[in-house]
Amino acid sequence: MPFTIPIGPFHPALEEAYKVRVRCAAETVEQVNVTVGFCCRGIELLAQRRNWVQAVTLIERVCGICSNVHTTTLCRAIEIVAGIEVPARAVYIRTIMCELERIHSHLLWAGLAAEYMGFRTLYMEVFTLRERIMDLLERMSGNRVHYGMNRIGGVNRDIAEPARVIEDVEAIRAAIEKQLVPAFLHNPTVTSRMAGVGILSREQAIEWGVVGPVARASGVDTDIRSDFSHGAYSDLGFRIVTRPEGDVQARVVVRALELLESVRLVTEALRRLPLGPLCAFEGVPVIPPGEAIARAEAPRGEVIYYVASDGGECPARVKIRTPSFVNIPALEAMTVGQQLGNVPLIQASVDPCISCTDR
Amino acid sequence: MTSIEHAREDLAARLAAIPGATEIAERRDSLWMSAPELDVAAMAREMNALGYRLGAMTGVAGEDGEITVIYHYSRPPLAINIKTRTRGGALPSVALIARPASWAERELHDFFAVRFPGHPNLAPLLRPPQLTDGFFRDAATGVAAPAE
Repeated sequence: MPFTIPIGPFHPALEEAYKVRVRCAAETVEQVNVTVGFCCRGIELLAQRRNWVQAVTLIERVCGICSNVHTTTLCRAIEIVAGIEVPARAVYIRTIMCELERIHSHLLWAGLAAEYMGFRTLYMEVFTLRERIMDLLERMSGNRVHYGMNRIGGVNRDIAEPARVIEDVEAIRAAIEKQLVPAFLHNPTVTSRMAGVGILSREQAIEWGVVGPVARASGVDTDIRSDFSHGAYSDLGFRIVTRPEGDVQARVVVRALELLESVRLVTEALRRLPLGPLCAFEGVPVIPPGEAIARAEAPRGEVIYYVASDGGECPARVKIRTPSFVNIPALEAMTVGQQLGNVPLIQASVDPCISCTDR
Repeated sequence: MTSIEHAREDLAARLAAIPGATEIAERRDSLWMSAPELDVAAMAREMNALGYRLGAMTGVAGEDGEITVIYHYSRPPLAINIKTRTRGGALPSVALIARPASWAERELHDFFAVRFPGHPNLAPLLRPPQLTDGFFRDAATGVAAPAE
């Protein structure tokens, strides 16, 4: 006889509040129903009650992990509306921060994934690495979570010692290559727990419209860094990472290999860091009437910002589409037919961010 | 003609055949179409056939109580934003044609009280239980949604 288990909103695999109702026949999942919205903060509405400068600060609070990409994308949308050309040095610094943020996010996720599968040694090693990235971000920006680097027209801070940052990032690359990549690709504790679990086929990935590492792990070669090249990516070149298997392990492997590509991008951008100003203008920006859309590749996938201005001092509309908003519904496709015991791991493999989803 | 120009022309020609479609305008960020009377179900089917992915749906409150709804599609390297308007506070659901529309329409229902006839489950998604449907629209304009 089928039975239903509510998992969440206080969740065994995640610290954020969302709920999954799983209907099972014996140990096999028959139906999945996801409930979000426990923490809706109305950030889009609040942004319409802040001036343009305050809106950037507010939008950084959408997420505590990928905060920088949110302000980067918001600023880009505003800059398109206002026709602002961002100086090259600021474009490179934005790209460097986005890639460091991706390394932080992927390491955070990898550590948690190790914890969920009961591989505590790997969890400790990954979180030690993550701490080094956090220290680096703190040294560069003054902050560990909300870096406050972006402003409309450019960035707030310069990178003072690029050579020292390169040294640190190269040391992190060595640790990723030596410890993390071999563990996630070849360690039997990992492969036996993840291979063949929670498969999302390429056709399903396209049908559900998933983005980011979840899509790439199902063989869909989509990445905004190459699809709609922006920032310094067209100068630096970009190698997309995909896997055909579509299972939990493929999602792990894609993120592990993306860490190396992000390290390469950071190093290359720092070596080529152009000279010049940090912002296109001084003072308070005046945003003329208009609307625009901007996309960026957040750690979890494509983030979309729509911004409209009526010429006033506050945005007329800010719309945020986060990657988790389209990745979380696809849990249904990944989970039905799976063993109940695999449900937390499958959910974690999506790297769902409820803070982003609920906004 | 480059492959991008060819794709753009193909898209324009295919969309032009949909009832209510208008010309595509090219802006700095992407392509845009403003079509208040667009047959959204036909549009969604055509975009599927063309291989475009629905990334998001945006609502913008109008002072007459109607909502401008923007469908954000992409198929790299092209992205197109298709604007239409609710009719009496409603638009046909495209959730059964494009899966990503399911949550997007539920969110639009929460924030702007847009009704989507044909949606398989237009239950609240993000709306806090103490608020009513359309709390974004009410806060932005103070204008209630048209009566059903």
